[in-house]
Amino acid sequence: MLEIFELAFMQRALITGIILAVVLSYLGVFVILRKMSFFADGIAHSSLAGVAIGVLASFYPLVSAIAFSLLMGLLIYYLEEKSRLSSDTIIGIIFSSGLALGAMLMSFKSGYQPELISFLFGNILAISWLDLAVIAVVGLLIVLFVKFHYKKLVLISLNEDLANAQGVKSKSLKLFLYLSLSMAVVLAIKVLGLILASALLIIPVATAKSFAKSLQHLNSLSIFIAIITVFLGLLISYYFDLTTGPTIVLLGAVIFFLSLLFKEKN
Amino acid sequence: MKDKALEIKNLSVNLGGIKVLQNINFILEKGEVAALVGPNGAGKSTLIKAVLGLVSYKGEIKILGQDNKGKSSYKLGYVPQYFSFDLEFPLTVNEFLSFNPKLKDKGEADKALKEVEMYKYKDNKLAKLSGGQKQRVLIAQAILSDPDLLFLDEPTTGIDASGEKGFYEIIEHLNKVHGTTIVLSSHELSMVYKYADKVICLNQEMYCSGDPNKAITKDVLESLYGKDTELKPHIH
Repeated sequence: MLEIFELAFMQRALITGIILAVVLSYLGVFVILRKMSFFADGIAHSSLAGVAIGVLASFYPLVSAIAFSLLMGLLIYYLEEKSRLSSDTIIGIIFSSGLALGAMLMSFKSGYQPELISFLFGNILAISWLDLAVIAVVGLLIVLFVKFHYKKLVLISLNEDLANAQGVKSKSLKLFLYLSLSMAVVLAIKVLGLILASALLIIPVATAKSFAKSLQHLNSLSIFIAIITVFLGLLISYYFDLTTGPTIVLLGAVIFFLSLLFKEKN
Repeated sequence: MKDKALEIKNLSVNLGGIKVLQNINFILEKGEVAALVGPNGAGKSTLIKAVLGLVSYKGEIKILGQDNKGKSSYKLGYVPQYFSFDLEFPLTVNEFLSFNPKLKDKGEADKALKEVEMYKYKDNKLAKLSGGQKQRVLIAQAILSDPDLLFLDEPTTGIDASGEKGFYEIIEHLNKVHGTTIVLSSHELSMVYKYADKVICLNQEMYCSGDPNKAITKDVLESLYGKDTELKPHIH
């Protein structure tokens, strides 16, 4: 059964999937704590404009999507700080305008657009060594940043005033958290597609939350669930000839609902 | 005369173009317990945040004789008004205390938890504690650095009567045993009479300052809460 991982493209898929599982579920704790799942969705959808810019300019689309998502993360942070609009409203505007810009730019390119389909729904089996390298380097930087500032990031997520009173510079940390989340979500679009990219941020942490005895336990359990989901999702999609991204997301959802049932019974 | 713990001169705060506090002046001496009273929106939380340097202001704030904007040697503790999060979030009491950047070693956290009689709950999830227990944990994080001044913003909101009594006993203990100067905002006038040395009456402006038994008059209460407010006699 595991001989499929002797194939080079499956090895790349597995390594990429595991990296993303670790990065996204590690950050997902903050998404759940700060109730930011709409932020992740908004960034993922608006990154279509970044993909389109890359495709039109014959530039590597993953990098242009990361750059665009950083810009959108910065814009959301700035508008939250400077305007009186609610976070939901700001993200709603960024979400739809980024998606609209992406669709408009894509219409300038005639003919069949395999990149567009690949970025919309993901294609983990088409991950190149370059994709893997970019995902690994950016993912490592994100994990290192979060690990270094972990306690302060949790504190600003619990109560910003309390964090400030304890001498934590909450504004700059919040900005870096937004930028890290923006990049992490975009890393996932190659695998899950921009429509499903935020799933690995939310589902494993939501599943682990009911069973975790502490925050440290929540982190390790979320990462474990995310890795298992990616691994089994890859196997199922390969043997049943299913699209990989949606298979991983649906499997995550099934594990989540089974965990709810198990929790209810116990 | 005792040393000044907190000195506020001509303090005004504007937030988003709205005058929240105007021309506030008062002095607290070391070791006093001061209560900020006033209706919702009176500026009690804003006053605490101005002293902590969390909002910009006009005027002068001196803590133990030092300007609160520059480098300082004093230590402040803070218990915020709102502290609610996902009830399923598995953050333990110990983990929460470990996030305080002022914490030097685990022994300090244990000592603070024993001080507020919450040591046996150190491995419990914070979200699962009662309102009163959660408030004690918040006090524990605020006293980790053995602060000179402790600020508590409406600390008894959502706490039942027995939890409230226990809470004020801890405040009394910190003040009497450790000599901590305490500033708390409150709606509970009965507790203000019982535990506060000084009361500051706020409703954007300052309506009274001094010994609660003398400063809180019928006129002051009417200025704060409206014409129909009654001053009920209080038994000490």
